[in-house]
Amino acid sequence: MKKLLASIIAMILAIVAAFGMIACGGPSGDPDIDEDGNTVIKIMFHVDKTSVEGQAYLKRVNAFNLAHKEEKIKAQAIFKARTTGASGYETELINNQIEGTLADIVTFDAPNTAAYAKSGLFYDLSSLVSASEQEKFYSLNKYDGKLYGLPIQESSAGFFYNKKIFRAAGIYDMVQGYTAENPWTFDQFKEVCSRLKTHGTIPVDMRIDATKDEMAPYLLYPFIYAAGGSFTDATGYVATGYYNSAATKSGFQFIKDLIGAGYTSYAIGATDFFTEKVGMYLSSGWTIPDLDNKYRENFASRDDWGLLPYPKGTVAASATGSWSYAITNNHHPDKTNVIKLLNWMTSAESSKAITDATGMIPVRKDVNHGYAVGSPEYTLLKQLELTGKERPVTVAYPVFSTTFNQVIAGLGDGNLDTLLSTATTTLQNEMNRLQNMRG
Amino acid sequence: MLTTTLIILAVFIIAFLGFVVYDLATAKKRKEVYRVKSTLTAYLMLLPAVILAFLFIMLPILYSLGYAFTDYYLLKPNDINFIWFQNFVDFFKELATKGTLYNAIKNTLIFVVGVVPLQIGLALLLALFVNRPGFGSKIFKVCFFAPVVISLSVTSFLWLQILAPGEGGLLNALLGVFGIPPHDWLRDPKTAMPCIIILSAWQGCGYQMLIFLSGLSNIRKELYEAASLDGANWWRKFWLVTWPGLRSTFVYIIITVFIGACRILTQPMLMTGYQDQTVTLSYYMYQQGYTYRWVGYSSAVALLMTIFIGGITLIQRRVFREK
Repeated sequence: MKKLLASIIAMILAIVAAFGMIACGGPSGDPDIDEDGNTVIKIMFHVDKTSVEGQAYLKRVNAFNLAHKEEKIKAQAIFKARTTGASGYETELINNQIEGTLADIVTFDAPNTAAYAKSGLFYDLSSLVSASEQEKFYSLNKYDGKLYGLPIQESSAGFFYNKKIFRAAGIYDMVQGYTAENPWTFDQFKEVCSRLKTHGTIPVDMRIDATKDEMAPYLLYPFIYAAGGSFTDATGYVATGYYNSAATKSGFQFIKDLIGAGYTSYAIGATDFFTEKVGMYLSSGWTIPDLDNKYRENFASRDDWGLLPYPKGTVAASATGSWSYAITNNHHPDKTNVIKLLNWMTSAESSKAITDATGMIPVRKDVNHGYAVGSPEYTLLKQLELTGKERPVTVAYPVFSTTFNQVIAGLGDGNLDTLLSTATTTLQNEMNRLQNMRG
Repeated sequence: MLTTTLIILAVFIIAFLGFVVYDLATAKKRKEVYRVKSTLTAYLMLLPAVILAFLFIMLPILYSLGYAFTDYYLLKPNDINFIWFQNFVDFFKELATKGTLYNAIKNTLIFVVGVVPLQIGLALLLALFVNRPGFGSKIFKVCFFAPVVISLSVTSFLWLQILAPGEGGLLNALLGVFGIPPHDWLRDPKTAMPCIIILSAWQGCGYQMLIFLSGLSNIRKELYEAASLDGANWWRKFWLVTWPGLRSTFVYIIITVFIGACRILTQPMLMTGYQDQTVTLSYYMYQQGYTYRWVGYSSAVALLMTIFIGGITLIQRRVFREK
């Protein structure tokens, strides 16, 4: 009896002691050293290790390790595939932060810059990346005037079009003059849609059905900027007067008019462009490899398809923003070796290697991309250079994204004024809530 | 956070030990033949299950309860402050604006009112159908149960194909044969929630069918024979024999289906996204906690939802209790 009681108490004490040891033994500020005496720098990616993109990252990490063998610095790649949208990967980041196991460098989606920076998750890179180096990037991840991330690659979108349908409708020559340097206008866009409709083809898949995630906001926000509208002020804390302004309304009205005229609809199937039921398809650069390789029966060569830029309203605007690297405010205060890895992963060589694998646009101006003038890739790159405009930089970005989707989903038969009023109120309330948050 | 966990763990251990000691101390009073050694052995064997239940059930519930009174923001896990009832005040303020929260509650109630009778009715009909001897009942049992074993995500995607807008959707193509124009079922506020109700009832009724079947098997055959001798028709037999025999099964089913219906999340998330016509309370809670990162507020919503479900369940138990 006594023995048994003693053993129960001993076991309970052991459990409590074990928890206590965990509590007291949190991660130290010293760098991680492996058994060979290398300083280990951890870098976490949002893709699967076996994917083409994952393999490209791994190759660059391995090359870094080879080049820094003498210095005894070793990068360790961690792959946490983003399986359920960005939030799943974000949960992983937050869990690691709570556990004190946050990697030294992490990848993140550009619209999250403001929220992550404000919360103190990211390290301020302003003093670590020189102004001349910053100049080499088409875009940077800045918040409140400080640099918090360097992009891995860039993305832009445009209107993929079926040249065979355009030739048959007699509008092929007409669109040849519409380039990134000389974009078409909203009216010219409607004229092309009208001709396609008369020809008996569904004119354009604007992806207005893609309102369950970030797709519709990413592809459609440039129309609002092109109409002279906006969503927030420069601080990212004021939406009233911007999101519900007359200019913003006219941008959404343009999309609503396309739906009303029967030029686009929510009922267009995901593969309707690829099966030649639709004349134009709004999508990003990732569609290029699909058209080159997966749909050869309908698009045998690039003579069968092309890419048109975003149309302009009062100004020209196009989509930008992809995933980026950031140095975290983790338990390692010394960032000397971490910045070496960041510089390596964002070098011209790495940028070229990664974008060759992903088909996206290199984010550095000094990368020799080798795109032929007039090619779809060239159009995307030029568009990025000339008219690229980032999504609103606000800590309330998730709410912006949700409200944008709700407006797009309601455009078909909803009242635009009501939709924008509700969206503005919701976003403004969230901004107030975040601004009043402590810290 | 770990310190809090340790405090909760210590309280739990003390409570558990207290219970063990109390059990032993009162054994004599209860005049039980009580052997201390074997009793302690029993508690020791119970300990692993208790620890697991504590870690994976009690601890998350306790944390959620605690977070409901804090300003926990997901990106600031090390800066959590106690704000008393502010989250609950915010909840009712938000409700008063008749915005998304109002729609979420309204849609959840519509879903519950729609799906509970439909799913239970379907389950009972199917159970009565396959309970008849012969007629390939085993095959039907498997067929009716099949949707239950398929994940909700998969069935949602299947129904997305069925309800797809335009002529490409299976339902629209079928209606097109009869000259009915295509309809955007999931975007139209009038049809979106009914579609989700039908899908959910179809997906879930197979499980309740099995429970009804086990209830039916407990009803003595002699009762039916006696009813037949008295000249009762099918309906009289059902109303006077089957239904009273299924009463306790029915109470269990109505409570579990009600609780499940209140927690609906996957179907609207996958089929329509975060739209006012289909957002539910669980989806609202998820969006607030994960997408918008307000864990404290989301926990407060969860607590209120738990109180609501618990309250209704108690009322159900009272209404359906045996007299």
